Amino acid sequence: MAHLESKYVEAPCAPAKPAQSGKAARRSFWGSLLASDTYQAVVNVLLKNERRQFWVLAAFPLAWVFFAHLGPILQMFWISFLDSYPPTAGRQPQFTLSNWIAFFQEAIFVMPFLRTLIYSVVFTTCTLILTYPVAYFLAKHVKRQNQLLFLLLLLIPFWVGEIVRTYAIMIMLGNNGALNLALKWVGLIDRPIPFMYTGFSMGVGIVYLTSLYMLLPLYSALEKIPNSYLEAAADLGAGSWHRFRKVTLPLSKEGVASGCTLVFLISTGYYATPVLLGGPSTTVFAETIAGFFHVAGDKWPIGAAFSSLMLITTLGVTGIFLKLMGRSGKGMMK
Amino acid sequence: MGYSANDRQAVVRLDRITKRFGEVTAIDCLDMEIMSGEFITFLGPSGCGKSTTLRILGGFERPDEGRVVVGGQDVTRLPPNKRDVNMVFQDYALFPHMTVAQNIAFGLELKGKTRGEIDKRIGELVDFLHLSALRERTPDQLSGGQRQRVALARALAPDPKLLLLDEPLGALDAKLRGQVQVELKDIQKTTGKTFFFVTHDQEEALTMSDRIVVMNAGRVEQDGTPEDLYFRPKSRFVAEFIGETNLIEGTVRGSDNGAIVIDWNGLEVRGAAQQGPVPAAGQSVAASLRLENVQCHAERPEQPNAISGRVVHRIFKGSRMALDIRVGEPADAVIKVYMDANEAGRFPQEHLWISWDPQRLSVLHG
Amino acid sequence: MTRHTRILMSVIYWAFIVYLFVPLVLMVVMGFKDSKFIGFPIRGWTIEWYTGVMQDAEVMGVFAYSMAIALASTLLSLVIGVWVACFLGPYKFRGKLIVFAVTCLPAVIPGIISAIALRIFARGIDIEPGMLAIILGHTVHNVPFVALVVMARLSTLPRSHIEAARDLGADAIVAFFRVTLPYLRPALIGAGIFCMLLSFDDFVRAYFLGGYDPTLPVLIFAKLRSGMSPEINAIATVVLVLTAVLGLWAERSMRRLNKGAS
Repeated sequence: MAHLESKYVEAPCAPAKPAQSGKAARRSFWGSLLASDTYQAVVNVLLKNERRQFWVLAAFPLAWVFFAHLGPILQMFWISFLDSYPPTAGRQPQFTLSNWIAFFQEAIFVMPFLRTLIYSVVFTTCTLILTYPVAYFLAKHVKRQNQLLFLLLLLIPFWVGEIVRTYAIMIMLGNNGALNLALKWVGLIDRPIPFMYTGFSMGVGIVYLTSLYMLLPLYSALEKIPNSYLEAAADLGAGSWHRFRKVTLPLSKEGVASGCTLVFLISTGYYATPVLLGGPSTTVFAETIAGFFHVAGDKWPIGAAFSSLMLITTLGVTGIFLKLMGRSGKGMMK
Repeated sequence: MGYSANDRQAVVRLDRITKRFGEVTAIDCLDMEIMSGEFITFLGPSGCGKSTTLRILGGFERPDEGRVVVGGQDVTRLPPNKRDVNMVFQDYALFPHMTVAQNIAFGLELKGKTRGEIDKRIGELVDFLHLSALRERTPDQLSGGQRQRVALARALAPDPKLLLLDEPLGALDAKLRGQVQVELKDIQKTTGKTFFFVTHDQEEALTMSDRIVVMNAGRVEQDGTPEDLYFRPKSRFVAEFIGETNLIEGTVRGSDNGAIVIDWNGLEVRGAAQQGPVPAAGQSVAASLRLENVQCHAERPEQPNAISGRVVHRIFKGSRMALDIRVGEPADAVIKVYMDANEAGRFPQEHLWISWDPQRLSVLHG
Repeated sequence: MTRHTRILMSVIYWAFIVYLFVPLVLMVVMGFKDSKFIGFPIRGWTIEWYTGVMQDAEVMGVFAYSMAIALASTLLSLVIGVWVACFLGPYKFRGKLIVFAVTCLPAVIPGIISAIALRIFARGIDIEPGMLAIILGHTVHNVPFVALVVMARLSTLPRSHIEAARDLGADAIVAFFRVTLPYLRPALIGAGIFCMLLSFDDFVRAYFLGGYDPTLPVLIFAKLRSGMSPEINAIATVVLVLTAVLGLWAERSMRRLNKGAS
């Protein structure tokens, strides 16, 4: 070990020689920063002890999430109980329940609300049925090294925004659209079927927009199921339907639950898609709410009340749904 | 740069350190001095408090009671960045986005060294640790042994008063480990740095250390040279933890020519008390007998304390052979013996005689 | 699994791919149609619509406006998201779950409600509808995604890396900039591109928070309300290509991130 005789010990970090010049004499940015008195003075105040460090780090995130994330929602609730907003000069807004009561007095309010809920449930179910086999195919039949490629193929369309994809569906379903053309060409119809501006066109659009949010949770849940489970079930003589019912479905439950929750929440929140693809008979609650914000500002409290109602309902529905899934999931485990 | 025991000074003082985590006392009133230039190893099973001691020295934990003094300065309340102590981490913690040279430069830059000084220092260290060819590589392009050397270079670069090493050989494979142990000891000798090494591997501790501190459940079991610990364990814990040993539990019958006579399952065995008072007759004691200190004889030897036994297991271990010899009536009255594998051929029969120097059977306290 | 179900499955998969791609392909194709009328049959081809869009100062202005909003909100979301993640990730404290839930809140609220709430909120803090309001809206919407991605990456950063930096003389701030932030880089690139996409594609927030100047999705929406035209196809195709490229880039960097973590 010849290297051990190096002069290492005799030259431990010699003090800076003044002769050094140019680049060699320069300190690094961080070194100079740490050496600066101003910085040290600031740091001594900011990072004095663990407790202060925590608060220096925590203050901004806490302020941001409670102000910007929760604030708007709370303010919306608050305004839903005022008789006018934005406040007009010289008049103090009064507390009222009339904005909430207004909802129940008019069928043109109640109907879109119920329609939204029913549509969303139906669309969510359709998305689930459509994407489950796709996710299953991806997770269980595609070779592992190809899965990324297959998944990527599915992802590409989803980077394209809501409006562009809605427009694509309009082209597809129009009276002179591709679907009618195809049907005519096959000879099923003579005259184009008016797909557009119906619940159907809206459904096709929303399923198109949301299917990825179902597919990804399903895929990741299914992918986690070890193949040995299915083989074991087959070994015990379970038929493929039985295997699916008793093994695959219960084990992918978590994916189903989170996929359905996501799709439900997202589909209730669409505005442009129902406007563009739906018709007068398919008005959804988002359009009703938006109506109060197009016109004069004094309708804002009603809009706020309706938004709050919808928020509570959607979160309530998903809450109940998740609870049911959780409970039956435990039941199945036994 | 030879150091003798006389010119050493205490570089670190741990002054009655106590550290608790909730209900658990990790360190219980640890009082110790670490001498300049020594290679001290804290040895013990996981959870014994050795790593907590290391983290207190590094400044990553603050003791509940007591003081830490490094180089005459009380650093108990100082954060790691204000201490003249550097550490080699168990996983090396090399910064993955920096090259070897940048990793080594890190501490120097923050100390406000100039580019020229830094380059010079890196040059010295990479030469010293055989890293010259790897300067521009990133950690993911290095082998385990190379990473370990980079971590060492990075910790040595700022010229700390004390170097902490947290099981730095754990990630290496067995073959490399032996080689690195020797290298590490050499580096320590050449640099004259004080090394504070933490490990659970007794063999590693014996190989490298000037001084070993065995810890158990937050307390120091024994503090001494490797030879002390191996041949003169003070407690049953140390005897069992370091090396393989025959543990003999019995009652003291009396003494004979300076040797203590112990009644072990009806057999009379002779040993010696290494430290402290000679136990009185009737006291129950434990004693340790190293495997290699037992001699085997085919015929009854001259010694008065020879015992006859029967071989129950022969375990071939390559360079040597381990024999389990049953010497008494109860099934657990077994003495384990090491012998040369060639020599074992001399005892083809099941029956043989064993004996030992009574000085080698250490009577333990506690 | 029998052969039949296997074949059926793959048929369903490819049918699904067709369902995803055909509308987009048609949209692109229609942009090259030499007629003002959208639909079949196609009798002639032209690139006039594309050149027209490229020369249209209004469209280009809107494009720049959308891009500026996307960049600004992405930058803000990254800073805030990293800050939130660095606080929420490693620290344990009472009420952490509540803070986490509030952090994720904007990601689960239905779009229209989020847009309305932000519209009222912007009015409450005296921000006029327009660029600033949209940037705020998009930032609020993006922060949860950034925070989640960064927290995931942060959880794979060994504690010893920070400790090593501290040991070598860095205080908490220097350790963050020299060790934590470089470690987060792949996550930041991925999350950043994802934020750009979310912001660039967003309609509902831009629609309710915008002033007189539309963003690109709002412009397309407005044009669509007055009827379909190949010009819209051309604009939409440009958006499509841009977002697909961005998306592929994000995908690639996230992929690399996962590889680095394993």
